[in-house]
Amino acid sequence: MLDRHLKDESTPDPHLIALTAAGDRRAFERLTERHAAAVLRLATAVTDDPASAEDILQQTFLSAYRNAASFRGEGSARAWLLTIARNAAYRLRAKQGREDLMNEPLMTLGRDAGWGSDNPEALAIAAQRRDTLTRALQTLSPGDREVLILRDIEGLSGQEAAEVLGITGRALKSRLHRARLRLAGALRASAEIKLTDGGGG
Amino acid sequence: MKERNVGGLRCSEVLAVLSEYVDGELDDSVVGKVEKHLLACPNCERFGRNFGSMVVSLRKESEQSPEAELDVMARLLEQLRKAKAEA
Repeated sequence: MLDRHLKDESTPDPHLIALTAAGDRRAFERLTERHAAAVLRLATAVTDDPASAEDILQQTFLSAYRNAASFRGEGSARAWLLTIARNAAYRLRAKQGREDLMNEPLMTLGRDAGWGSDNPEALAIAAQRRDTLTRALQTLSPGDREVLILRDIEGLSGQEAAEVLGITGRALKSRLHRARLRLAGALRASAEIKLTDGGGG
Repeated sequence: MKERNVGGLRCSEVLAVLSEYVDGELDDSVVGKVEKHLLACPNCERFGRNFGSMVVSLRKESEQSPEAELDVMARLLEQLRKAKAEA
């Protein structure tokens, strides 16, 4: 009979990792199935390239398999895996010589997002459309995308997200807020383009 | 936009803490000031409401996102099996 404990959706991640460290392949596959989508999303956000993201997915789980015994269970398994993935993705970006942006004043970001405008509703309406939201996310820098993915899409706590990014809780809050404002700006811009084009739906 | 000072906060100060307000991470004393400001400042109230809606939509993205595609998962597991066999 197949390991009953591993068929259970609620088997805790630390238990799966302990079994993996003891060489249990099925436990490792369970862990992989549970977290691969999150790792792939983050890797895609940082690399901007599906093929590189898939390489990072493999590197991440291979590294997790080899280092399962070193998992201390202080944070969540997802945060541990996302930390490995992020480090791998940024190593790749560094090799490619790509670097990130800018620190505009908050009020500039706010104005771009529709703060003080006649029609701030445009951003909420645009955000309700999944295709528009996905496209707007793709226009952001990898740094903005990763904080939105960790905190809002994967639902990591502020502390977990800060640990994955290697920054303080205060810095995380600031980075998250700026990323959300830039996303709002991108959504608003996409809504304006639609209006200019005469499109609506 | 003309800055207003309402409830002990200026519009730019409300803008600066909007994410923390949406995430429920502000101290009660600051929440009180933000809410006083929002009640009296239509510009900030409208922007804040729509900004909050956007964050809610973003959070739903996780529920709507497909899991890793089956072929990606199959390749991953195959690569890992090979790597383990070589180890």
